[in-house]
Amino acid sequence: MYIYSGASQPEESSHVDDQEKYEQFMARIEAGEKIEADDWMPDDYRQALIKLISMHGISEIMGALPEKEWVPKAPTLKRKLGIMAKVQDEMGHGQLLLRVAEDLMRPYGKTRGDLMDDLLSGDLKFHNVFHMPTKTWADAGMVGWLVDGAAIISQTNMLDASYGPYQRALQRICQEEVFHAQHGEAIIMALAEGTEHQRQILQESLNRWWSALLMFFGPKSADTTGSSKQDIMIKYRIRKSSNEELRQAFLDKYLPRVFSLGLTVPDETAHYDEEKGEWVYQQPDWNEFKQIIKNKGPRSKERLRLREVAYENNRWVRQALTSEAVGS
Amino acid sequence: MMPVETAEEAKKDATYLKALKDLIYQCADDDFIISFRGSEWLGLAPHIEEDVAFSSITQNTMGHAVMFYSLLEELGEGKADALAHERQPDERRNAVYLEKKNGEGSYLGEPYYDWALTVVRNFLYETFKKVKLKAITNSSYQPLANVAEKVLMEQPYHLSHWRIWVEQLLASTEDARSRLEERLEEAWYAFGDVLELGQYATEMEHFQLMIGEDELKELWLEEVKTTIKDLPNGTPKKQLGSGREGEHTADFDQALEVLSEVYVSDENAIW
Amino acid sequence: MENTNEASFYQEYEVFSKKSVKAPIQHQFSLLAPNEEMALSMAVENFMRREDVLDVWVVKRSNIRAMTSEERMNWTKRLDNKDYRRTKGYGYLRQKWKEKEQGMLDEKEIMSWKEVKKK
Repeated sequence: MYIYSGASQPEESSHVDDQEKYEQFMARIEAGEKIEADDWMPDDYRQALIKLISMHGISEIMGALPEKEWVPKAPTLKRKLGIMAKVQDEMGHGQLLLRVAEDLMRPYGKTRGDLMDDLLSGDLKFHNVFHMPTKTWADAGMVGWLVDGAAIISQTNMLDASYGPYQRALQRICQEEVFHAQHGEAIIMALAEGTEHQRQILQESLNRWWSALLMFFGPKSADTTGSSKQDIMIKYRIRKSSNEELRQAFLDKYLPRVFSLGLTVPDETAHYDEEKGEWVYQQPDWNEFKQIIKNKGPRSKERLRLREVAYENNRWVRQALTSEAVGS
Repeated sequence: MMPVETAEEAKKDATYLKALKDLIYQCADDDFIISFRGSEWLGLAPHIEEDVAFSSITQNTMGHAVMFYSLLEELGEGKADALAHERQPDERRNAVYLEKKNGEGSYLGEPYYDWALTVVRNFLYETFKKVKLKAITNSSYQPLANVAEKVLMEQPYHLSHWRIWVEQLLASTEDARSRLEERLEEAWYAFGDVLELGQYATEMEHFQLMIGEDELKELWLEEVKTTIKDLPNGTPKKQLGSGREGEHTADFDQALEVLSEVYVSDENAIW
Repeated sequence: MENTNEASFYQEYEVFSKKSVKAPIQHQFSLLAPNEEMALSMAVENFMRREDVLDVWVVKRSNIRAMTSEERMNWTKRLDNKDYRRTKGYGYLRQKWKEKEQGMLDEKEIMSWKEVKKK
């Protein structure tokens, strides 16, 4: 069985042979070598990867939905095309990542269908930001600019990941994220330099998204929410930095830009502490975070329902083209 | 008929100009509405890889609409964005069959979209588009002939993609075949106005802007038959009305409301 | 009908493409598709939306005999003692030719022989 939730299993290394393999494995990743899908790997490494990458992949698929609400509504032909290409990329990122996860799940006989079932049953979680509503066109811009900005920070941090297939998928993804970043900036810039109404929906949108953006990187330590995978991720060279380091990097890159557009954040205490060399901010409500990722966020049910209807309603298509049906 | 090289030249003959604009509106509005329906599907297709491929086709098709709207812009009809977002239903020239909703529900909730409709509609439309644009490459209006030439560079992929879907689903389960056949029957009641050229059909032929309706219909049917052997009898009727004459359904109102929601929310805005 | 298993819809295909006439075919990624026609029809737009593509191959993964993890480990390491099959092992010729006031026919020189004088 592969495990999606709860603590990962401790490495069982009683077996001498496994101990040797484990040491060889650690030596390889410490030397910067890449692990491939069919290489020996410790169980907790495989499980941490399955959990991370299936969640990452399914979050891209679920993440397409909030932005997609604005695809047919985008205000100009150019914006319609741009946001369509952007959301298509998100689906494409989901494709790349799910392929990586599916190959890791092979030993367990699991495939894409199982991932979809796990999503719909609530066993496979998706990222907190994609449980939030997108109320105006400005939210489409905000997702493209700051949510993607946060995603870029966390994804680039894994560009040297020890797992080869993930690292290669991230390489592709991050290259496309450069387009996403500029797509988001373009929407935001037009609003920021636009009419009273445009500036207003932009500021309202930022106010709405602020705490979700802080939550994006997860709690500072496991004490906050009771579980955190950051230690094992760092130990196995999947990512380099802690949640808080990533959040600080995000604030470093984006808050000066936010302020330069004449926007404010809904936290009067937010400022850069020169002495400590870090951003000071009010903690978001981590209990709310826990609720959100348990599929109890503002739009969790609706988004899952959308995915479920699309998946179930089109099942006949997949059934029609199985090899049994077409005899190939 | 001498080739007409520029918009300025085209404007010299009022009848020519009317027929020309009507033809371009048909091309632009068809591509725009079918790509709008495609954009509603994004994220909801039967399979992730297909979702990505389908979206490229949708983007290409909307890109073609932009090229046609830009020709109209040159002919003094106003900005492409205004043409796409502001025109009222009675000014629209797209065929009614193409505006039909993807199925029950909405992309925002309970999207009971029908893949059989999408496969049949896109296949029939792309086949039509190929035939129509091929004819337009010989159009007397050079800027339009050039656009047709360009569009035909990437459109074969679209047609082949939908042809594969039609062929494979028709050759698969009983369930899939009957779903497709039902949608084909439906198309034979509603596809009729796609094949029409509207009130200036005679002028279009006379000015060598385009071949005649009968020839267009015949070429289309021939081409469709190379993929689907068992077609409903006769040629398609137009029971939903004629979009070429500005007739549209409630489904179009829904499309217009969605696609222009943000555009009309702030008249002074630059987006 | 409703309960037909759809697992065999998801077949694994490896996708390869060629960027330019001079480029070799290159591995891109893998995708799931029910058969090779579908795989081919989806491949370009899934992996090459922003690059040139002149040709595409899709290969069912089960038809690829790839090295196993162990084979990669054991068959891909070589001793660094094969100068004799590289120009490096013949570098002393440069000096010899120089003594005879001749240039060395090195890679740069030989690859420049695409054109010869027209008669």
